Amino acid sequence: MQPAATSGLAIDVAGGAAEIDDFDAVVRQYWARVFRFALASLRDRDAAETVAQDCFWKAWQGRGRFRGECSLQTWLMQIVVNLVRDRVRSRRLQFWKSAVDIDVAAHWMPDAGASPEARAATIERVEAVWRATARLPEKQRTVFLLRFVEEMEVLEIAAVTGLKEGTVKIHLYRALETVRKRTGGRG
Amino acid sequence: MNSHLSPQQIAKWMIGERAPSEEQHVRDCPQCGAEIARLQSALAAFGGAVRDWSERQTVVKPVREGRGVRPFRWVWVAAGALLLATAVPIHKLEQRRELERARADALLMEQVDIEVSRAIATPMEPLAKLMTLDESNETTSH
Repeated sequence: MQPAATSGLAIDVAGGAAEIDDFDAVVRQYWARVFRFALASLRDRDAAETVAQDCFWKAWQGRGRFRGECSLQTWLMQIVVNLVRDRVRSRRLQFWKSAVDIDVAAHWMPDAGASPEARAATIERVEAVWRATARLPEKQRTVFLLRFVEEMEVLEIAAVTGLKEGTVKIHLYRALETVRKRTGGRG
Repeated sequence: MNSHLSPQQIAKWMIGERAPSEEQHVRDCPQCGAEIARLQSALAAFGGAVRDWSERQTVVKPVREGRGVRPFRWVWVAAGALLLATAVPIHKLEQRRELERARADALLMEQVDIEVSRAIATPMEPLAKLMTLDESNETTSH
């Protein structure tokens, strides 16, 4: 059996279709990742939960069409990326341009026992990245989040977004350049 | 490599694309080294913060632990129960209305029968009584 090309959760191609039969397990295994991407993209917990539910609902409905040509994770991420895109586009207000939730998100730091000064500096850095990310065009933001939050490789991002590898890289370079400049990088 | 890394070289570095000459430059150039370290640190902190934030926001799970119910099946079950709960009272109410309608019809028919079966019209009834009285008087006088 050929393993599907994916980082992290490699699964058997033949086993992929069988794996989806145990849908409870699929939801348990992938919910956190799907929800996380939706939350990072939308910064709205309720909306992210709705999108995650929709993602698994669509997967459940379309499970018969899943042939294991890509990993289950890639397939689910394809669905959630499309749902997030549709949701963002359907919103007339450009909520990403507002900074309503950035403070909340930026201050949510893992408590790693850092000193107050170090913690404050980290929060400042994270907040700057959030603000920079908020102003990125949709595709740049998507590939940026898939890379630096989901820690996906470029090839997997290409599979998830349906973009060519070179296009993914160009979006990443541009996103990184914007983030670098907006977080105090040299000109 | 004498000049500093370009923005594109820095971006490429961040996704793991770096030439040996660039690696050497970053080791030798404090400015580029600091810039790379600053950006790497910010991105790592950002990714960690988002993952932690997300983990703590995940409250509602679509599947309850230890239950073999497929997700979203409860939606159909709830919809069925709601349909049943709504349909039964409506059916009973309709049956009651039908019964009342039948009773009203029967009453109406009964009244119509009474009206139709009268020998003379209602307004003529007092006159008819008088005539009946006169006839009986004549009979007794004969």
